[in-house]
Amino acid sequence: MKGRVSAAALILTGTLLLIMLSTAHGQIPLRDPNGRCLLECHGDPEFKEETAPGQYRTLYVDYEQFKLSVHREKLCVDCHTDVTLIPHERRPEEIHCLQCHYQGNVVGAPITERPEKYKESVHGKALQHGNPDAPDCRNCHGVHDARAPYDSLSTVYRMNIPKTCGRCHLDVYTVYLESVHGVAVTRGVPEAAVCSDCHREHDLLSPQDPRSSLYPMNVAGTCATCHANEELMHQVGISAEQVEAFKENFHGIALEFGVLRVARCTSCHEYHLILPSDDPRSSVHPENLAQTCGQCHPNATDNVAKGKFHLIPSNPEAGIVFWVSQFFKWLTISVLAGLFLHILLDLYGRLRHKATGG
Amino acid sequence: MTEDHPESTEKQLTEELQRELATELEAQLNHPLDEADKKRIKQLIKEQVQVSLRQKKQKLEAERQALLKAREEYFVRFGLNVRLQHIVMAVSVILLIVTGLPIKFHEAAWAQFFFRLTGGLEAVRIIHRVGASLLILVGIWHMLWLLTATGRRDFWLLLPRRKDLLDFFLNAKQMLGLTKERPQFGRYSYVEKFDYWAVYWGMVIMIGTGLFLWFHDLAMTYLPKYVLDIAREAHSDEAMLATLAIVIWHWYNTHFNPSAFPFNPTIFTGKIPKHRMIEEHPLEYEEMLQKREQQQEREREG
Repeated sequence: MKGRVSAAALILTGTLLLIMLSTAHGQIPLRDPNGRCLLECHGDPEFKEETAPGQYRTLYVDYEQFKLSVHREKLCVDCHTDVTLIPHERRPEEIHCLQCHYQGNVVGAPITERPEKYKESVHGKALQHGNPDAPDCRNCHGVHDARAPYDSLSTVYRMNIPKTCGRCHLDVYTVYLESVHGVAVTRGVPEAAVCSDCHREHDLLSPQDPRSSLYPMNVAGTCATCHANEELMHQVGISAEQVEAFKENFHGIALEFGVLRVARCTSCHEYHLILPSDDPRSSVHPENLAQTCGQCHPNATDNVAKGKFHLIPSNPEAGIVFWVSQFFKWLTISVLAGLFLHILLDLYGRLRHKATGG
Repeated sequence: MTEDHPESTEKQLTEELQRELATELEAQLNHPLDEADKKRIKQLIKEQVQVSLRQKKQKLEAERQALLKAREEYFVRFGLNVRLQHIVMAVSVILLIVTGLPIKFHEAAWAQFFFRLTGGLEAVRIIHRVGASLLILVGIWHMLWLLTATGRRDFWLLLPRRKDLLDFFLNAKQMLGLTKERPQFGRYSYVEKFDYWAVYWGMVIMIGTGLFLWFHDLAMTYLPKYVLDIAREAHSDEAMLATLAIVIWHWYNTHFNPSAFPFNPTIFTGKIPKHRMIEEHPLEYEEMLQKREQQQEREREG
């Protein structure tokens, strides 16, 4: 205790000396109410505490970043409410976003249902179960540098989300970067799917949870948010009817009525390494289809590649299946019209006989 | 005679009773009844008598019908074997339709309700395959039956002929009222022949494509994917055609037409009453009578 106080005193003296001798910290306006915290300690990049022998934790706050964050108008003590003295009489408590972001707060902190959703998520659950690595708000949103999601420098800006998630999920991130979505994000296509488009952000649930966007029955719907969008799919040059076709084919119907082991989008297209079918690495490349279908259909051979996928029988693009469906359509119409006419004639004849007593 | 003129009897009875009752009441009360009293008595008696007479009449009519029915001559149209074939086929087709249509119309609310009720596709698909097995069974059974003497005879009679086309045109003319002449059908009319041959087409398509879908893992090994795609499309489309043909065409011609409505038991009991035999299969009827006469002659000679 005594050591820390004297260290703080030393730094305090040092900082004051620095202010006098240089202009390094001259950017911090002295009239800024946060100035004291920064000038005295937290503005120094070297300011740190020893958490264990030889292990340090930085206590530096990049004030420039803070002044660009959503909280730029706030005072340090707005959040660190237990700090009243410098140097602090005891170690300040951990703060939590819900200190302000709760329903009915008077400081005007925006509030949504998201914190509640987070509690239900895999991350929230892991945190509750005491996993020290489980992320909470700050791991994704940042601490002092929390920016709005529409700010292109924010950690939760669309295009930055893969990187943010990748800080923990490094293996998935590297695979994702290879995928058609990852490549598009790297190229700066804002519509490309990022982690949260499929996994959701705050209500990120396990795929075993029926409420999850990735629960077997919900996968097609999740992909459909983009892949059924005519305009968007036109831009990237693929059909917007593929999800519809999936729902009409046997896999889709089986899934709809509770056969959970049946193939959904991700079973064939992969989870993260989604690649176009003309890419030889792709799971849906004709060369690889036997293996991909073979995951469920043990006898699958290269024959599975001979034919079209995502068929809509009423669409001429379905080829031979379209013609088969047309044949039956016209056969049914003509046969039934004939039979119906015969029935009407028969009815007319019989009723006339009855009327005339013939 | 009394049953035929219930009104007059009723009137006599009412008046008689009224007179008797009025006298009796006057004697009891020792007071003459006025016109209104008499009218009321008359009305009450009339109602009572009407009800009892109506019941009596209905009972007599029913008895007469039952007697007529019991007396009427029947012919055996279908043997036990054919009747069993039909019932197995009917059960299997109904099972297949009930479990198959909700898959075709999976987006409809009733289909969703059906799957909720039955516990999902896994269970329904088992029932569908039970129905399919029965249908395959009856197909094989029928082929074997065609080898028997009765089978060979019926198959011969079911082959389409020129007469069927002429019958069709004559029937159409007759139904439109352009002619009084009615086509004279033999054992099988052109309508029945159509039904028989339509089942062949349906069986080949449905069983053929159905087997591909059932054993898709095996099919996938030896056949290109598009064959399975065609199989699925054809299975779904032909199912619809067959269902409509059965429900609209077959049921109308056998059960729901005005002369048979609401139910024609011949295919289940095998029996056809004489009057329907004469009306619907006059040529077969004549043939039967001739055969009977010939037999009787032979018996007399022998």
